[in-house]
Amino acid sequence: MKIKFSLFALALLIATLAFAGEEKNYGTDISLKEKTAIADILASPELYNGKQVLVEGPVVDVCPERGCWIKIGSNKEFESIRLKVDDGEIIFPMDAKGKNVLAEGTVSVKTISKEDQIKQGEHYAKEEGTTFDPSTVKGPKTIIQIKGMGAVIK
Amino acid sequence: MTFKWRKWNNILHRDIGYLIAALTLIYGISGLAVNHAADWNPNYKIEKEFVKIDPITSTGRDEIVAEARKRLNLVDEPRNVFRPDRETLQLFFEGKTYSVDLPTGNVLVESTTPRRVLFEMNQLHLNAPKKAWTYIADLYALSLISMALTGMFMLRGKTGITGRGAWLTAIGVLVPVLYWLYYTFA
Repeated sequence: MKIKFSLFALALLIATLAFAGEEKNYGTDISLKEKTAIADILASPELYNGKQVLVEGPVVDVCPERGCWIKIGSNKEFESIRLKVDDGEIIFPMDAKGKNVLAEGTVSVKTISKEDQIKQGEHYAKEEGTTFDPSTVKGPKTIIQIKGMGAVIK
Repeated sequence: MTFKWRKWNNILHRDIGYLIAALTLIYGISGLAVNHAADWNPNYKIEKEFVKIDPITSTGRDEIVAEARKRLNLVDEPRNVFRPDRETLQLFFEGKTYSVDLPTGNVLVESTTPRRVLFEMNQLHLNAPKKAWTYIADLYALSLISMALTGMFMLRGKTGITGRGAWLTAIGVLVPVLYWLYYTFA
């Protein structure tokens, strides 16, 4: 009995390790074939607002609390875009940080008020375990993000 | 021959109870952990450490990365490299991120370790795997409903649903109802 259990545990471990390095799908399957450069979305957000896009890049940050968003590094330096999913719809693991992601979703461009920016900034800072200085918010700001539907992390 | 419904009721309660014991522990333990997510991270242990290196003086991206790795004694190739702004370099390794402030040499080292077992429990509880797990979770929910219903009719007499059981069940009904009224109108 003990031997059987040990063999089962070993098989489980091997299977886990075998799958550990593979790419992993989250949410719905990717349907688009053509990728859009994140830099293009950020340069002309109004052109992409409401459009479904497929983007690729490194995962540079992950929501540590609920895994409900990731930040994807742009093809252009010093730029990234947040891919937000509905809570519980997809749970991105922290271990995705630094891996490459292929993600599909709808671009959303919103102008948010100073008050809402402060609320959002405080919320994200709490999630990230950092601090937020409200005095850095000067006025209304345009937020460009992708409402994520599906992703492949590899 | 009469159908002994109470006997079957009790058999169902007992056997379903055995079947869902493990899942109940998973959902219960994870429920406690996730319920307090505002106070702690139930999935990961995140440790932050600050180290100081000499300022990075290189200018090209590859040179900056090479210099930062050299100063931090990082022999392994990073998984990825990112510059969120001109003054910061992020080096990603498995479970560890180095954020280097290039002009000052201040480095934030963030290590992320999953809370083993609890992480897996939370993933199942929050239905992260989706697919077949959705149906297993549905079955579990139905089993819990059947446990509640069969549980009420296990005993007869003074301790059954017509006696003590009625009072305890009524208290169990009042707790969510009263709380909801308080939550809505207070």
